[in-house]
Amino acid sequence: MAAVLLCAAAVAACSSGSSGSSGDGSSSTSAAAASGPQNTSAPQPGGNFTMLEETGLTGAWPTGLDPATDASGSANQSYLDAIYGNLFELGANGQTIDGLATGYTISADDKTVTIELRHGVTFSDGTPFNAAAVAFNFKRDLAAPVGDTPKWPVSSITTSGSYDIVIHLTQPYAPLINTFHDANVNWIVSPTALSKAGENAFKLAPVGAGPFTVVSDTVSSELALKKNPAYWQAGQPYLNTLTFKSVASDEAALETMQAGGVQGYEGMQTPQLVPAFSQQFNVLDVPSTSPYVIQLNTAVAPFSNLAAREAVYYATDVPVIDQKLFGNLHPVTEGFTAPNGLFYEQNVPGYRTYNLAKAKAAVKAAGGVTVDLMATQSSVTQTVLEALQTMWQAAGMKVTIHVDQLPSVIQQFESKTWQASLQTAGAFDPAAGLGVNFRFGSASIFSGVHDPALDKIFANATSTLNSASRLTLYDQAAEYISTDAYAPFLFPVNGWNIAAKGVAGPGLTTLIPASAVRPEILWAQVGFTSK
Amino acid sequence: MGAGRVHEQVTVRESSNRSGSVPPSDAGAAAAAPGSGDRSGGASPLSRVPRVLRSSLLRVAGRRLLTAIPVVWGVTFLTFAVLNLLPGDAAQALLGADATPQEVARLRVELHLNEPFLTRYGHWLGSAVTGHLGSSLGSGQLVTTILAQRLPVTFELILYAFVISLVIAIPVATVAARRPGGVFDSITTFITMIGLSIAPYILALLLILLFSVDLALFPALGWTPVSGGLGANLRSLTLPALSLGFPIGCFYTRLLRADVIEQLGEDYVVTAVAKGLPSWRVLVRHAVPNSMFGLITVVALNVGTLLGGTVIVEQIFGLPGVGQELFQAIQTRDFPVLEGIVAVFAVVVVVVGLLADLLYAVLDPRIRYDNPGQ
Amino acid sequence: MTIPVNDALPVPGGLPAPGGPGVADAAAASGAARGRGRLRRSLALCLPAGFLILLIAACFLWPLVGSVPSPVGGSVLDSSLPIGSPGHLLGTDADGNDIFSRLLYGGRVSLEVGAATQLIGIALGGLIGMIAGFSRGLLAAVLMRVLDVLIAFPSLVLALAIAEGLGPGELHVIWALSFYSVPAFARLARAGTLKLRDQNFMLAASLGGTPRWRIVLLHLAPNLLPQLLTFALLGAGVAIIQEGALSFLSLGVPPPGASWGNMIASGEQTMSVQPALVIIPCLALLITVATLNLLGDALRARWSAR
Repeated sequence: MAAVLLCAAAVAACSSGSSGSSGDGSSSTSAAAASGPQNTSAPQPGGNFTMLEETGLTGAWPTGLDPATDASGSANQSYLDAIYGNLFELGANGQTIDGLATGYTISADDKTVTIELRHGVTFSDGTPFNAAAVAFNFKRDLAAPVGDTPKWPVSSITTSGSYDIVIHLTQPYAPLINTFHDANVNWIVSPTALSKAGENAFKLAPVGAGPFTVVSDTVSSELALKKNPAYWQAGQPYLNTLTFKSVASDEAALETMQAGGVQGYEGMQTPQLVPAFSQQFNVLDVPSTSPYVIQLNTAVAPFSNLAAREAVYYATDVPVIDQKLFGNLHPVTEGFTAPNGLFYEQNVPGYRTYNLAKAKAAVKAAGGVTVDLMATQSSVTQTVLEALQTMWQAAGMKVTIHVDQLPSVIQQFESKTWQASLQTAGAFDPAAGLGVNFRFGSASIFSGVHDPALDKIFANATSTLNSASRLTLYDQAAEYISTDAYAPFLFPVNGWNIAAKGVAGPGLTTLIPASAVRPEILWAQVGFTSK
Repeated sequence: MGAGRVHEQVTVRESSNRSGSVPPSDAGAAAAAPGSGDRSGGASPLSRVPRVLRSSLLRVAGRRLLTAIPVVWGVTFLTFAVLNLLPGDAAQALLGADATPQEVARLRVELHLNEPFLTRYGHWLGSAVTGHLGSSLGSGQLVTTILAQRLPVTFELILYAFVISLVIAIPVATVAARRPGGVFDSITTFITMIGLSIAPYILALLLILLFSVDLALFPALGWTPVSGGLGANLRSLTLPALSLGFPIGCFYTRLLRADVIEQLGEDYVVTAVAKGLPSWRVLVRHAVPNSMFGLITVVALNVGTLLGGTVIVEQIFGLPGVGQELFQAIQTRDFPVLEGIVAVFAVVVVVVGLLADLLYAVLDPRIRYDNPGQ
Repeated sequence: MTIPVNDALPVPGGLPAPGGPGVADAAAASGAARGRGRLRRSLALCLPAGFLILLIAACFLWPLVGSVPSPVGGSVLDSSLPIGSPGHLLGTDADGNDIFSRLLYGGRVSLEVGAATQLIGIALGGLIGMIAGFSRGLLAAVLMRVLDVLIAFPSLVLALAIAEGLGPGELHVIWALSFYSVPAFARLARAGTLKLRDQNFMLAASLGGTPRWRIVLLHLAPNLLPQLLTFALLGAGVAIIQEGALSFLSLGVPPPGASWGNMIASGEQTMSVQPALVIIPCLALLITVATLNLLGDALRARWSAR
């Protein structure tokens, strides 16, 4: 069934560079792509849909739903997509699909990108959706002090006519279009509504050009939306109402779905519950594009010493952790790329895999290793840390572990005295969003690596538009990290999206690669297939 | 009637103990203390009791309200101090992991978080006393709006839970205490032990499994406001209230049962029974009310725990109440919201304490029966 | 209440006690019934007391003398073994830690948390409460206000603050929970003191010139102790459960260390599919709380009969 849908999607969507890269050669144009339904059995119009979100992860929006001020923008993707729609959407095969934008052009010198907007669209408050509005948004978003602001090397933003935005860059920037899937620039607010309501009120009752409009917003508890009758795609959205509710845990979500009255749950993370969910509901395995990595702080002891770092590589039996804790459900990686992302490479030459004897020898060579390993609080990190502790202690290391809340983790990074940290690194496009620079670049405080040679490789990969070259460069980077034993990788932790029987939609029942951390759902195309 | 004479006897004996012990000037202070009652009754006729009762109650109430002010202030100050000691602040927490230090510093200045602790507290206090509780550092919503939105949910939940706990505790404890060690007592002991020792969130999940999934009697998630129908509103709160109220009800049952059994060992009870009074009557009309002091004390103490318990219950059942907001405010160091909630909680606790003291005064037989001239 | 009132009327049949005869029976008890009642009372005390001692011995001594696998550092290779697996009587959890061992070690932590919070509460809170109830005027008023503030302060805020500021840990949990138990006991002690302070024996003591501290310690405290102790035995159970609630919010005793509370909290995540992980620590908790309760009842009966 999934294969059929994927084929249909491949046929339906078309844009040049369909392998997912942002452009090939010196200039390219993307043809207008159909953004029709991605499933063969089209949903019927109507229906009220309730979606569950987990409180600690996606189910909280304490800073409101304005893309320029929402500090948890990537976690709040579902709500923002539903309210604002997207300029560019991510397709089932990782290709870029047109949404509110209908194409882009890159200039000959790779330093100017022109984005073409869809004609005849209005925001849900009736005001026109045009280049002026989008330019206003871009400028606002680029200056926003939030995490999902794209790092475009931009010199200015101008408009050309009513429907063209021109982005002037200071240097070529390959991931530009891919960053839309990870960044706040993909969501366009109505400037009129914003100035009328004021920023504070607007973030609680936002207005966009997406498939749904806000009915009520109880911050971090419930968001009630209803169909936008002026949505640009005729016949969509299928649903009459869409309500998001926050739920306490995966177990609570299971029971709530079993009790009925809710149709979906995003981001389920407990592998042991997959069989229970599968009994009554559709379970979609959504791979993450950000593998877990054990960051080692090369600036301080013990990991300023190569032998100590090697010991960590040799002492960690990743396949066993995957098998025992996660039932082999996650794909083991050796680099920062993941199966559903760009430039995926399963094996890195010279990667040090589990070898207890070598681990013990490395510990001895390092003169003993005492390490404090931390992670940000989540159920996954807790169990993984415990497993790591056991394994490393078997190799003769002294290990203490603790999981902390985010502010405390940030503090430890800022103090620069942290030794090892279990985090995620990588993205759909390694240069975009929470990319690899964040964890491996010398300029980032969240990085344990300070190596100008590595920085250079990443910089090149970011400014080269040729995807084949980028692939080579990223392979180089992964090998470099591996040779110097900077940080062993584990696996991307997949999530699962759960849907009740009788509903369908891209991202919900069919797969869309995870852009940043959370996989997308194209709400305009979600609906009930049976009644 | 036998009963009246018994009580007369008791009263005379007890009040003669009392009248010499308390200097008149302390009568006012004594009135504020639980269980002491008003001693100026003497040989006054029945008609004077209501007035005596009323004035002592008013005095108690007035005193309590005056003392409420420093208490509420103390709580807000303590909360502010504690929050200030936590690592990280709102700016960092709001912007999350990806923000650069410059962005955080910018937001910090914008939110006035770089000012010294006392200055910030002073600002907050200054506007708070005029009713302006500030806005959430995260969402920008007025704290008063947030409270207005969420407090009714939590209050209704707590009230419902409290009613459930009393509905369980009082009858069960009364009947069980009548025959300690009997069948009913043993069964209820067993059940209350289980109820006591089960974690509320486990109970919540079990209740959902049983009543929502298997029996489909109650919704598993969400809150229906009263505007959606009183029945639906109560239905949406029943399981959460049960999760909170049942364990607490078991706790109260055990306490009350122990106290009632003790009361039943008191002289006046034994005498009354020996004189032929039906044991039920003694139990219900005298032993149980006299046992209430312990229960009232514990209930007043428990308000804080109940409020804390709402955090988890609201999370599990998806209720848009204040408990959830409190937890989030702590995580994001959103001090205006936190202070607002904590201040309201403090007021509630103080009010409950006041009610408890008033109840002491009402229930103490030395007030009620201080009229030997019947 | 529990004070021997000097001018009590003669009560045939002895005073009734829990586990003994009820209202009507007390007045009609015969000598034989009195003997039976005494035996029942002794059993009611000895059985729970003995069981509690067994529990404590199991948690603290068994791992020292018996061969119990370590509660932490389990190999991931042994993950999620079922009950009755060789070498693991109650199976293992997701990380391969032996559940029986975690039950024992977790019991240590839970019992320590329960005992420590209540002891601190009785000692500190009881003292403050007695002083507050016994003294008059400004001292009493100030003490009461301080207690009111502590009671009105949401203990969750404090627990979170302590956990985030100092890192979660058993000691910090005890501090956080004591913050609630001290004012609770103070309130109780004060209420009891107020009821007692005008009794004959108290007046006699003060009229006799006994210094106030002696009155408080030698006359007041012993009479308050039964009620406080009953509350403490119940409160210990409540404290252990509250540690579990803190664990649900990730503020309790941090894993991999075991406590019944955090075993329940992590078991909750897979309750539908692996209920044993929740049921086992819940049962342990239930048994312990029941024992504490029954012991409390029996102790108080013994005190009343004195």
